[in-house]
Amino acid sequence: MKTMLRYCSLAFLLPLLWAGCATAPHVVEGPSRVPTMGISTEDFAAKADEMIQSLVESAVLDKAPKKPAVLVVGRIVNNTSRQYDTDLLAKKIRVALNKSGKAVTDTTGGALSDPDFTLSGKIIESAERYGNLRRVVHTFQLSLANPQGLAVWEDEKRIAKEGEKPAIGF
Amino acid sequence: MKMKNITPIIAIAATAVLLLLHTGCSTVNTLEPAQPSAQKQMLSDKRVITDTGLYGRVRPVGVNTALVSTGLLKIQVEVQNLSSSVQAFAYRIEWFDANGMTVSTPTSTWIDRQIQGGESLMLTGIAPTETAKDFRVNFIAR
Repeated sequence: MKTMLRYCSLAFLLPLLWAGCATAPHVVEGPSRVPTMGISTEDFAAKADEMIQSLVESAVLDKAPKKPAVLVVGRIVNNTSRQYDTDLLAKKIRVALNKSGKAVTDTTGGALSDPDFTLSGKIIESAERYGNLRRVVHTFQLSLANPQGLAVWEDEKRIAKEGEKPAIGF
Repeated sequence: MKMKNITPIIAIAATAVLLLLHTGCSTVNTLEPAQPSAQKQMLSDKRVITDTGLYGRVRPVGVNTALVSTGLLKIQVEVQNLSSSVQAFAYRIEWFDANGMTVSTPTSTWIDRQIQGGESLMLTGIAPTETAKDFRVNFIAR
């Protein structure tokens, strides 16, 4: 009987313990603790910040005929194995440039006839493997071209991540 | 177990520990001009240390500022790894206007960095607008 009781109480306690260990959804404002081999939202924000710094420091926008410069955000190609909305990068750059007062951005979807600059780019993924160790490098490339199609600013930023393949599973 | 049997085990363990120490402690050597031609405008800073462990390993050496040609404030914080192993940390720059109010920016986020043993690195930030006159840099261990 005692053994039966023990098993019953264990069966009752285990789900409780299991439920007690689960983390309820909550708002997170600090740095992310979820590791990913892909590009996280924080990675997009960090690279957008680096790109904006580089673009603003180049002072190209201040040399535009119109003040503030009129900018069209063109295509940012996602050349990675995962699906990302490249607006995670482009929108941050647009908002930051608008707030800085250095540029106004086109919202017509390309119907604007005489923009000062067009911003375009590419995100490239390259992966390497050494035994269980996996290294993924994401390269962010951006170009700002004038109406003649000449690149007046370009930059490239990288994020390299390494992780081990789990012993079990994929 | 006899003393004779123990000695090789100790020798193997010591070699393993030495190998581990050797792989985990590669530090950075640096070279720079003895009389640098660049003149840094160093700011006197105020530090609030709540994580003494992180401060003991990764320490801000100083901060210098400059105005970029577009009129925006640029800051550069020099950080040094005082330990002999790689350290991971994250930092975030907050910007304030002349009244001390926060200047929001879509890219204000925690940025992860790694610093090699003994290495010094520069963290840079450019103010999001010309109204941003002041700043604060936060550090957290990862």
